[in-house]
Formats: sequence, C-alpha cells, structure tokens
Amino acid sequence: MAERPEDLNLPNAVITRIIKDMLPEGVAVAKEARCAIARAASVFVLFATSSANNLAQKHKKKTVSAQDVFSALKEMEFDKFIEPLQESLEVYKKSQQNKKEQKEAKAKAKKAEEAEKNSSTVEENSEDADMSNTMETSLSKKENDDVMEIAE
Amino acid sequence: MAGTEGEAVVGEELQGVEGDGEEGGRAGLRLPLARVKRIMKADPALQLASQDAVFVIAKATELFVESLVEEAYQYTRKAGRKTVSRRDVDNSVEAIDALAFLDGALDWS
Repeated sequence: MAERPEDLNLPNAVITRIIKDMLPEGVAVAKEARCAIARAASVFVLFATSSANNLAQKHKKKTVSAQDVFSALKEMEFDKFIEPLQESLEVYKKSQQNKKEQKEAKAKAKKAEEAEKNSSTVEENSEDADMSNTMETSLSKKENDDVMEIAE
Repeated sequence: MAGTEGEAVVGEELQGVEGDGEEGGRAGLRLPLARVKRIMKADPALQLASQDAVFVIAKATELFVESLVEEAYQYTRKAGRKTVSRRDVDNSVEAIDALAFLDGALDWS
C-alpha cells in the first residue's frame, strides 16, 4: 500500500483492539477479515461525513455540526448509535471545557508572573508575542505528535 | 493534486486541542481524532466541521466497527469456527440493509 498524504486508513492497532474487545477469548480474526473491517470503518467515516455535510448544506450552513452528524446517522439507519453517542459527546465536551479553563488559568498565571518579573513595558509586549507564538507552535506540534504516535 | 490543508479546512476550532488525544480518551474514544479528520478532508464537498462533529463521527465509527464484528461473529459461530473470516464479514454486509453502502467497497486498496 502506497503511503500518500491522503492515507485514508485508520490505525491497525486500534481497529484490532476494538475488534478483539468485542469477541470472546479464544476467538481469532483472520487478517483478511481485519483488513475488510478496517476498510469498512474508513468508508463509514466518508459516508457519515458526506451525509452530514449534505444535511448541513441543505440548511444553508457551512459548518457541519454534531447535530448534523446525529441526523445523518438516523438517515443511515444507525439510530441505535445516537443515544450512546450523545452521552459520549457530553463527556467529551466537559473535558474540552476543563482543558480550556486550565489553559486559560495557566496563561493568566504566567502573564501575572512575567508582569511581576519585568517592569519594562517593551519587554512585556515581546513576551506576549512570544507566548502566542509558543502556543501556536505547540498546538501544531501536538497535532503532529498525534499523527506520529499512531504511525505504524 | 490541488487539495491541501488550505482548502478542505475542517474548521479553526479543530486546530490543537484534540492533539494529545487525552480528552477523547476520557470520553472513551480510541481512534485518533486527527486521523479521522484527515479522512473527512478527503471529501472535496466538505468545507468546515466542528470539533464536536469530528468527535461524534470518530466515536460512531468505533460503534460501527463493534457492530460489524458482532454481526460477522454470528456467522462464525453458526459455522462452528473460532476464527472470524472475510466471508463472515461479507455475509454480514449482504444481510443488513444499513450496511449496503459497503457493497463492493471492501475490495479497493
């Protein structure tokens, strides 16, 4: 399989883990079956994306929302997923909110610290610039790390 | 090929926070959000998607895998085997309406 920037595969290890967790002990999965399931998962992502996008566009929205995805899943006849998904989403949103608050608190604290250390206003300005650069770099670095972590 | 980060952008909200995967993990997510986002971007019609939307798709995909495995395993059991085969997966796809979108899709590489 060629490695291209648009690699549409999900990480094998994770798929295998999910499969194994569903099966009783002593049950194996043939490699071809595992590949087929992994491929099916990728196709599912595409299908769900396309369906959700169509719904969003129907309502003249440019951004696909979680609600669009729920509606799409209903259309795709995966109603049974909706309730557990809504629960998971709540947990996720909470943790995102926590992370955001932590970040803001940290930034605030750092700013206060720096302000105390440096009395000159010129330095303060460059500090702010440095900080925003650092945040941007660490944000993109994080995403890269995520991709690298799951490379096989 | 023209399509790159700049065009099928999946929204500003997506940059960064989902990077370390920890939050996804707390919501029981195992699939990496960045990878799911990458697949979504393959759709040229997609402009923007919220971070929550990406999460829901990722989580739904996990549920989908579980569901497909469960179905395939029924066939494995019926045949008295201990190894889930490609055939078991194919049979599931044929038998279930909701899986019709997979027809013929499992053979591209």
